[in-house]
Amino acid sequence: MAKIEFRNVVKRFGAVEVIPDMNLVIEDGEFVALLGPSGCGKSTSLFMLAGIYLPSGGELLFDGHVVNEVEARDRNVGIVFQSYALYPHMSVRDNILFPLRFKKTPRDEALTKVKAVADLVRVAELLDRRPGELSGGQQQRVALARALVKEPQLLLLDEPLSNLDASLRLSMRTEIKSLHEQLGVTTVLVTHDQIEATTMADRIICMRAGRIEQVGTPDDLYLRPSSLFVASFIGSPPINLIAGEAEGGTVTVNGVRFPVDGASGSLTMGLRPELLRFGDTGFAGRIAQIEPMGREILYVVETGMGAVRVLEQGSSAGHSPGEEVKVSFLPENSLVFETERQKLIAGAHVRAPG
Amino acid sequence: MAAQTIPLASTTTAEPAADWDALAAQARAVRRTKAVVLYAFLIAVSLPIILPYFWLVTIAFSAKTGVAETAVLWRSMAVVVPAVVAFWLTAALAQGRRQLWIGIAAVAAFAVFAFALLVGPDLHLGNFIFLWEPDFASVVRSRIGEVKGAVQFPNVWHAFGNSILIAGAQTAIVVTVASLAAYYLSRFQFPGRSSMLRSLLVLHAFPVLTLIVPMFLMLYWIGLLDTLSGVILVLVAFELPFAIFIMKGFFDAVPWDIEMSALTDGASRRQAFVSVVLPQVRNGILAIAVFTFIRGWEEYIFVFTFLIRNSNWTMSLYMYWVRDDVMGVDYGVVSAVGVFYLVPSLILYMAAQRYLMQMSIGGVKG
Ligand SMILES: Nc1ncnc2c1ncn2[C@@H]1O[C@H](COP(=O)(O)OP(=O)(O)O)[C@@H](O)[C@H]1O
Ligand SMILES: [Mg+2]
Repeated sequence: MAKIEFRNVVKRFGAVEVIPDMNLVIEDGEFVALLGPSGCGKSTSLFMLAGIYLPSGGELLFDGHVVNEVEARDRNVGIVFQSYALYPHMSVRDNILFPLRFKKTPRDEALTKVKAVADLVRVAELLDRRPGELSGGQQQRVALARALVKEPQLLLLDEPLSNLDASLRLSMRTEIKSLHEQLGVTTVLVTHDQIEATTMADRIICMRAGRIEQVGTPDDLYLRPSSLFVASFIGSPPINLIAGEAEGGTVTVNGVRFPVDGASGSLTMGLRPELLRFGDTGFAGRIAQIEPMGREILYVVETGMGAVRVLEQGSSAGHSPGEEVKVSFLPENSLVFETERQKLIAGAHVRAPG
Repeated sequence: MAAQTIPLASTTTAEPAADWDALAAQARAVRRTKAVVLYAFLIAVSLPIILPYFWLVTIAFSAKTGVAETAVLWRSMAVVVPAVVAFWLTAALAQGRRQLWIGIAAVAAFAVFAFALLVGPDLHLGNFIFLWEPDFASVVRSRIGEVKGAVQFPNVWHAFGNSILIAGAQTAIVVTVASLAAYYLSRFQFPGRSSMLRSLLVLHAFPVLTLIVPMFLMLYWIGLLDTLSGVILVLVAFELPFAIFIMKGFFDAVPWDIEMSALTDGASRRQAFVSVVLPQVRNGILAIAVFTFIRGWEEYIFVFTFLIRNSNWTMSLYMYWVRDDVMGVDYGVVSAVGVFYLVPSLILYMAAQRYLMQMSIGGVKG
């Protein structure tokens, strides 16, 4: 187990600066998610932790020791690659044994460990097969087993669920989380899927173009996104963002007036679809489209300020396309951002008109 | 509305129905013609390839000293040509694997039977005299009364050993160097990498024969003329570029992740290469090994130019001198040497065929 620290870490590939300046502390035993769009440098950060990439600058610390130059093989890090990277010419057993080969674990002990970890991730009956004969989900479990068998001080997962189908993804999410609870190993999960991050991780590190945008619990990121980027990245369906000018305590957007507290100037209002309600008051619109989503229904409402998404509980639509509606919300559920700097104005709220 | 369209539809389908049959018949005829043309082509192409080898073997096992008899060839042809035609016809007409195998087995059995009947009585092993009589040239000549002037042949097993040595050493060096070089080219960025790759191909494009004079001079100056190692060096130099190129394609197809995974699993770079990367390019290694070996086994021009003493002769030189010395006297012996020379290549090809086929699949990726 280890406490991980990035201190002003820089990573360049040739002239391209992929990570300009990264500062981050991951506590011992924590499960964190590196969340961000594809190409933002998540895998690069992970590979620096694994020792595959050498940082171009700054310091990387494990339990307070600088490990920048420590070889990958000496770090005792377990990693599950996006492609799983199983060794195709070896049986599942030999794949899982592979890390123990270099630890000089006696054969009997090694086989016992393999058996134990295979039971843990439920691949015990697959030990004699080749990776090519396994399904995606099974390959993934084997990759996990191989990463876990060496009892790593740090477990790294690079988009481990992205190659699985939807239902398998759901069950693996629960399984990885419960594995972490059992083993307590410090775990870093890389993902571009906000649902994966929010359901599995204790803390989320939201990244954008190599920079950390916000660090916090899933609730922090959902309720108090520090920037427009985080607000629009977290939540599904995505948050409604409506930009307008505030003057004399009112934000006006195309003639619609929202009373505002604690902010002025160019503002962007953030309204989560699931926190909007149809009612007798609020801003007016016409239902343009209805998307049933099982237990919820997504309405796309055409308003003077553009299309607004509204998510309602229930499985049958209470409104029909073309219907004129009014949409309101509770002030404490609204978010207000500075349009220029794209930052959240803490404590500022808007109220629904009328 | 719907009631109106139903009778309309039935009247319109009645007429094109005849057309459908005609179209199907036409398509069938076209397919059949194509199949006939294809198999006619295969017969026409395979006969000229098969016949010379077949003759070579037949002559080697049937010809007698001083007799230029061709009757046995005609008789053997009377067996082989119908057999080849029957083989392709079986392939064309067979429906399903089972029928194909039964058909081929029947054709083969019939051909063997006919061969034993028509050619069998003429077969003997006497032409392979060179295997146990190093001075076979004198023996053969004495049969027709000539005694003097025979070339001093080394023991054929000595030439065989030289050939194995040249081909084997060349293969070992090419496989080792090409694997390492190709791995480096595939994995590491360095200045001049792409121009190096390009020059690898260009090197292969030149006819190597053009360099024979400078090569001769170089070997002479470094004192490796008329030595096996000199020839091995030259052959390695000419075979390497293409082998590296092929191997790079195989290494490119091995994902980075797997290697990185091995490194984090505790392997050193070298251990990762040996235990994880190499097994995945095994087919590539086998392919270049077989090709390089056969290239070395066949090598004629360079050994002819750079090797002089008869203790350095390879099988190709041995073959050349046998042809030169006893051709007019006994072409049975010449053919027998040819068969003896051919067998190792044949065995190797057959054993490695499965891997060679994969080269076109795995190697092109890069
Ligand atoms: N080995 C490399 N050489 C050059 N550029 C790279 C390399 N690896 C990643 N990059 C670049 O760094 C950026 C971040 O990549 P990566 O960390 O893989 O993103 P992701 O967040 O999708 O995992 C990308 O723009 C990518 O093109
Ligand atoms: Mg990635």
